[in-house]
Amino acid sequence: MTATIDWAPVLAGDPLLQISQELFSTMIDLEPGLVERWVGDRPILDDPRYTWVDVAGEQLVRVVIGTGRETGEAITRALLGLPDGTPVSDEDYVDAVGEVANVVCGNVKSLVTHPGTLTIPVVAPAAPALEHGTCLEDACLSWRGAPITVALWLLP
Amino acid sequence: MKALVIDDSRVMRRIIGAILTDVGFEVIEAGDGQEALMRLEQHPDVRLCCIDWNMPVMNGYEFIVATRKRPEYRDITLMMITTEGEQEQIVRALAAGAHEYVIKPFTADVIVDKLGYLGLLDAEVHA
Repeated sequence: MTATIDWAPVLAGDPLLQISQELFSTMIDLEPGLVERWVGDRPILDDPRYTWVDVAGEQLVRVVIGTGRETGEAITRALLGLPDGTPVSDEDYVDAVGEVANVVCGNVKSLVTHPGTLTIPVVAPAAPALEHGTCLEDACLSWRGAPITVALWLLP
Repeated sequence: MKALVIDDSRVMRRIIGAILTDVGFEVIEAGDGQEALMRLEQHPDVRLCCIDWNMPVMNGYEFIVATRKRPEYRDITLMMITTEGEQEQIVRALAAGAHEYVIKPFTADVIVDKLGYLGLLDAEVHA
């Protein structure tokens, strides 16, 4: 039997920041402290790319990550251990930022009871249509000074 | 020793494969559970499978169930490496026959420590 998820206690723990910090410190930077909350006005992403993964269950939950293309390429290089400036193929880019979204969404999923099933990541130059959804949390983070947005949505 | 890394993410296969190569494994890869079963037919000397849960075609749980039905694969160590962190999923995988369970994100040390517990580290390479 499933039940509607009570998000209040989950969100009280600032999960998107915590999960992102854990992910970046263990698999991308290999050191802590390079992801923090963005300070100041929310920036406009340069040449944006959006990646999202859903948890499909009784409630449809979506994690949407936004980065500039260059930031996404830097994440890809870091994940793969490539030197700065190494060209990144579209295939590696989609795969790497997709995996980042997959890990964030999977960890959000583990915070709730009877959440549902993770979907395969989608990467696109435009954010998904979310106008009928409810934004549960929308975090703007700084990774090495570059903005990364991480949002958690409840969809109808 | 041969290891089969099963993950639909090429990036994750490369990351896990690099960790295993560093400790002396020869690594082969598969993008889903069905492809992994074919790889096992081709490489019957695989000793370790590192398995993602969420994959198209055949997921990691289904792969474990399929593998455990085959007596010839009973000596293969099965390690789930996945974002599926709920307790009930972990219990489900272990009950189906997984030996170890690692939740993403992970560090290389976590994987190497698990291999050590499982007795899969070559002492000379890892010294």
